[in-house]
Amino acid sequence: NRMKRAKAHHKPCSLKELEVTVSELGLGYTSDETVLFRYCSGTCDSSVRNYDLSLRNVRKMRKIKKEKVRARPCCRPLAYDDDISFLDAGNRYHTVNEVSAKECGCV
Amino acid sequence: MIVAGVFCLFLSLDKVFHTWAGPSSLAAQEPHGWRTPVDCVRANELCAAESSCSSRYRTLRQCLAGRDRNTMLANKECQAALEVLQESPLYGCHCKRGMKKELLCLQIYWSIHLGLTGGEEFYEASPYEPVTSRLSDIFRLASIVSGMDPATNSKSNHCLDAAKACNLNDNCKTLRSTYIANCNKPFDTYRCNRRKCHKYLRQFFDRVPSEYTFRMLFCSCKDQACAERRRQTIVPDCSYEDKEKPNCLDLRSQCRLDPLCRSRLADFHTNCQASFQSLTSCPGDNYQACLGSYAGLIGFDISPNYIDSSTTSLIVSPSCSCRGSGNMGEDCEKFLKDFTENPCLRNAIQAFGNGTDISPPPKNPPVPPVTPSPKVEKSPPLPDDINDSNTIYDTSMITTCTSIQKSLTTDLMPEQKTFVDPKGSSSRHSITGTLSALPFLLVKVAL
Repeated sequence: NRMKRAKAHHKPCSLKELEVTVSELGLGYTSDETVLFRYCSGTCDSSVRNYDLSLRNVRKMRKIKKEKVRARPCCRPLAYDDDISFLDAGNRYHTVNEVSAKECGCV
Repeated sequence: MIVAGVFCLFLSLDKVFHTWAGPSSLAAQEPHGWRTPVDCVRANELCAAESSCSSRYRTLRQCLAGRDRNTMLANKECQAALEVLQESPLYGCHCKRGMKKELLCLQIYWSIHLGLTGGEEFYEASPYEPVTSRLSDIFRLASIVSGMDPATNSKSNHCLDAAKACNLNDNCKTLRSTYIANCNKPFDTYRCNRRKCHKYLRQFFDRVPSEYTFRMLFCSCKDQACAERRRQTIVPDCSYEDKEKPNCLDLRSQCRLDPLCRSRLADFHTNCQASFQSLTSCPGDNYQACLGSYAGLIGFDISPNYIDSSTTSLIVSPSCSCRGSGNMGEDCEKFLKDFTENPCLRNAIQAFGNGTDISPPPKNPPVPPVTPSPKVEKSPPLPDDINDSNTIYDTSMITTCTSIQKSLTTDLMPEQKTFVDPKGSSSRHSITGTLSALPFLLVKVAL
């Protein structure tokens, strides 16, 4: 089981999708309409740069103390899907943008 | 403005003529060329390649530019031009919904047909090719798309399911979002941009396959929330409602000035005309054609919609009334009732919501001109369609449809071999059928 989890964890950064209701998006809208939510998931091990290694080391040597720094690349959307429009429970239409990812990458 | 626009069109058509006048060998005029269905853009090219045809057509368009049909017919030259053109491929040409150059095609169509009819009669023949596919094909696709077993979730809200199916399809989702975003009134302003809203609604209904659009527009409902969602499909606050309703005949006159609107309305009248000779009250028992031409009206000022969110009475109407019709009151009522009290349209909507359809008569099946769908003709008529049922019957709501369906199953099927389609629905595109239907066509023209 742990092997499985570990294996899944090591998948490289890519686009995944899930069917969720608009309410489940947690954006404050109440609607039973189902939308396709695309998100980025996976690791970015192969995208580690000398920058990351150096930053880690400099931090380890306590040259950086109080600042918040991130010494590894992150799997994030590079582009977002088109707008999503839906009818809410009060029969009003809404359009929201940049809800769902279109393309992922390690940044 | 409009006259100027028409004139401009003529000028640009002339250009087309001149460029096409060159290779005249390509269309040595077949004597019966007009019998094979060609679209009007192609027919125009064929005519342009033929010097006698193109000069007569130019004459006719100049005659019609005067806009008074009686003066036109008094002119011998105009009359002669019209007579010659009736032998040309331009006569009897059709257009397709959503085709390339649809507007040009329709402009060519009406330039001939207005000469023939004067454009004053109550119902006009559709410039569009007859629809040959069946609802059952759509159901099949729709259930594949949604991946749901319709029988298992009888409690569900079908209109919500339809929205889900659309959201999960990128093309449908994008075009839906586009029209909603353009039709939705912004919070800070009083009015929406109706022209833009209509434009994107038309785009949605023209470009998204009907297995998505019909499901959203004609879903069957058991509660008010569902029916309200159905009514809201076209964003009626922007696309439909107005401070005051115009007179229906005024609305129709407005529509007839625009070749696209005029064509969609004529198509609606052709395919949804209540007929008392057929089982379903629809011409050729073709529900799909009626629903398609209903959907084709959306995004014009004449757009119909459900008048309320009632689950039991399915009443649709354009946003107009018959107040102030003067002595045209009867005509106006007649026009309005083709929406509000039309058994063909109502049966078609109910049949779609229930996932039932009538199969085409097995004898003399329509021969589609371009893309034949042998599936429809080969499959055994009824059992196939029963399997298509998308939903459980809502017996409380359905009256006419179920009874029709039942009577078909029990008594009528064995006799179907002798069932003769009274309107000759296949006449326009089956070549053998055309000969026998010639009197019909001629009568149609004379009317």
